[in-house]
Amino acid sequence: MTMSPQSTNRLATAASVALEPETTAPAPKRRRGVGRLSTHVMDNRTAYVMIAPMVVLLGIFVWWPLLYSFYLSTFEISFYEEPLFVGLQFYGYVLEDPDFWHSIGIGATYVLYTVPAIMIIAFLVASFIRTVGRKVAGLLKTTVYVPTVVSAVITSVVFVFMYRADGGLINWLIGFVGLGPFAFLSDPELALPAISVPGIWLAFGITTLIMLAGMYDIPQSYYEAAQLEGANFFQRTWFITIPLMKNVLLYLVVTATIAGMQQFELPLVMTQGGPTNSTMTPNLFIFNQFKDPTPYATSFSLTAALILFFVLGGISMLIFRLIRSDKAIDA
Amino acid sequence: MHKRITRLATVGIAAAAVGVMLAGCTPASSGTTEDGKSKVVFWQQKFEDYQQDWFKAQVAEFNESQDEVEVELLVVPADTWDQKLKAAQAAGKAPDVKTTSYGNIKPMQASGQIADLSELMDADAFDDIAENIAPFVTVDDGVYGYPLLVEPSTVLFYRTDLLAAAGIDAPPTTWDELLDDARTLTTGDVYGMNIGQTAPDLGWSSWGLQYNVAGDFPLRGDWSEASADDPAYEDLAKFYQTLYTEKLMPQEATYPYADCSFFGEGKVAMSACGSWALGQLSANPDWAGVWENTAVAAFPSSDGDPTSPTSTLGGWTLTVDAKSKVQDESAEFVQWLLADDTDRLVDFFTATGFSKYPARVSVTEALAATPEAADDPFLATITEDIVPYAKAEPSYPWDVSLAFATSLEKAMRGGDIPAAMSEAQAAIEDVIKKQKLAGTGSD
Repeated sequence: MTMSPQSTNRLATAASVALEPETTAPAPKRRRGVGRLSTHVMDNRTAYVMIAPMVVLLGIFVWWPLLYSFYLSTFEISFYEEPLFVGLQFYGYVLEDPDFWHSIGIGATYVLYTVPAIMIIAFLVASFIRTVGRKVAGLLKTTVYVPTVVSAVITSVVFVFMYRADGGLINWLIGFVGLGPFAFLSDPELALPAISVPGIWLAFGITTLIMLAGMYDIPQSYYEAAQLEGANFFQRTWFITIPLMKNVLLYLVVTATIAGMQQFELPLVMTQGGPTNSTMTPNLFIFNQFKDPTPYATSFSLTAALILFFVLGGISMLIFRLIRSDKAIDA
Repeated sequence: MHKRITRLATVGIAAAAVGVMLAGCTPASSGTTEDGKSKVVFWQQKFEDYQQDWFKAQVAEFNESQDEVEVELLVVPADTWDQKLKAAQAAGKAPDVKTTSYGNIKPMQASGQIADLSELMDADAFDDIAENIAPFVTVDDGVYGYPLLVEPSTVLFYRTDLLAAAGIDAPPTTWDELLDDARTLTTGDVYGMNIGQTAPDLGWSSWGLQYNVAGDFPLRGDWSEASADDPAYEDLAKFYQTLYTEKLMPQEATYPYADCSFFGEGKVAMSACGSWALGQLSANPDWAGVWENTAVAAFPSSDGDPTSPTSTLGGWTLTVDAKSKVQDESAEFVQWLLADDTDRLVDFFTATGFSKYPARVSVTEALAATPEAADDPFLATITEDIVPYAKAEPSYPWDVSLAFATSLEKAMRGGDIPAAMSEAQAAIEDVIKKQKLAGTGSD
């Protein structure tokens, strides 16, 4: 699923860790009374106790595996013989592998096809839902959420049938205007756009709901004031809605971009990365590398996964830099 | 300060406790069952339903036949096999016995994953393995898998009714004839031919044709250098390209190569399929009309020489894990199942609808003596015209096959053939360098 809650949570955590390193700077130099000092220590103690379980869990399930992965990536791993220390050799292998970079390019192209479309469709649908009455809005919200709960694998299978050149629904429809039939999933030019469509379909619902939540947070008085001044819908959207939803939009762009780069199920089920590697997304590439029963395959896929981690981190940083994240104005 | 240390210690103890708890959650290592029997974990890759039925019945019979060893059968779907096996190996919980294809025996042996059965089983069990199949499982003096079956990966299936209607009186024997026939047979809803068309399928289904056209594989000898730039492979690429770009075959891979449904559904007049498709076609009642008019022949060779290989001989063995704690018991089960009673295997091969073939001489003889075999119209073609000339699957890493097939697919879809082949050459050279293959080959 393009927007799974797990990935969004993880990313939100990663993003806040990466980008807000010094949010609370205690003022140690300020002189305090003895009584206040002990309260301060007591406060801190409570705070440490409260965060301890999370730190322990993160340590066990995030930091230790990550560090251990880096350690393992310096070996040619065998589950049967002594692992062979090779230093950073596999990093070199991955970085100079044109297929790895090709897969990053495919991931980036998939993001270009899906993220703008998801954002625009979700924004328009959310804007529309906001204008309708309570009952209709409830119905629409439920409806747009449906794709989110459909499994990506099932979606893939359904779309494979829809795309079929012999009797597929889509070729039947475009047949009415005299086009086709196209073998969408067997044409290297069409395959990636074709798998982007279910990608958009799967992700736009949850994106719409998150945008809608952001829109409901904007005080109605702003719009009333703007209307009194004679602002039309586009001006209200451009000068009120978008600026006030900046953080929400930023979050959605980052998570959708990362989820898009990590797209795996759609190409796995629909095209197996083909035709001629034109839908070989980074995760699918790594997965395929992993399959050979050789120590080389294990180490290569591990190292490629670690490098992908940095590529994705880099992309997130870039987006955060490009769109400065500020606190909400009305906070 | 000491309070802080205490607190850190508390955190440390908590972490350790969680660790111990997690460790406690995992089951104790295999080896024995609760009632003291040796436990052998057996993973079978999921194949046709009759195979699952056969393995299940055999395991139950073995478990009842004695009270020393308990075999636990797990059927694992093919598409999750690799990652499930690796995860189990990483956790030290690899199955004691597993199905392994011939192509994986040598790579697994090279990294020490499988046990030498010649030290675990009776010597005369190995004398019965057919002479042309023994090398598939033998490395130096060790035997690393016990073969169950062989199946030619490329057989030409054709529709006698459609060929007769088109005025073609015999199946093609050269590639040019095949292309001409395919052109004649392609009409309206029916394509003349079907053959693998995606790189993961071409990777293995084109092995026989690669050998046919160039007399060897793109990585040969001691694997020191790639030979994908052998000009002969351009003829192979041209053959695939003609079939695809002239629209003589289906234009999208609705079914993978291993699935012969295009032929079964009557959408193609001829098809390259593995011999296992005989079992698939005969078992489907919806395809009875096609099945009545089905015939098989050796896949044509490029120049018409019927003794030149056009197929590899794939198939499955059982291997015993090198780290298994119950190697002797595992080998005992493998011997009981595959190397002992011929009737057990005759039942199996009869159930396959004669779409797979024994690896043991005595089983082949026993099978030939059954009335079902005498009645089977396809058995003679495959055992006499195809199996004797078929080649062993190459034992180099899959990356090599996939690199060649990716280029083949590019050429097939209309790409420039020499450019695609030099791309394959570079990709295979890269695999040789990084996976240190030079000098390790023995093909």
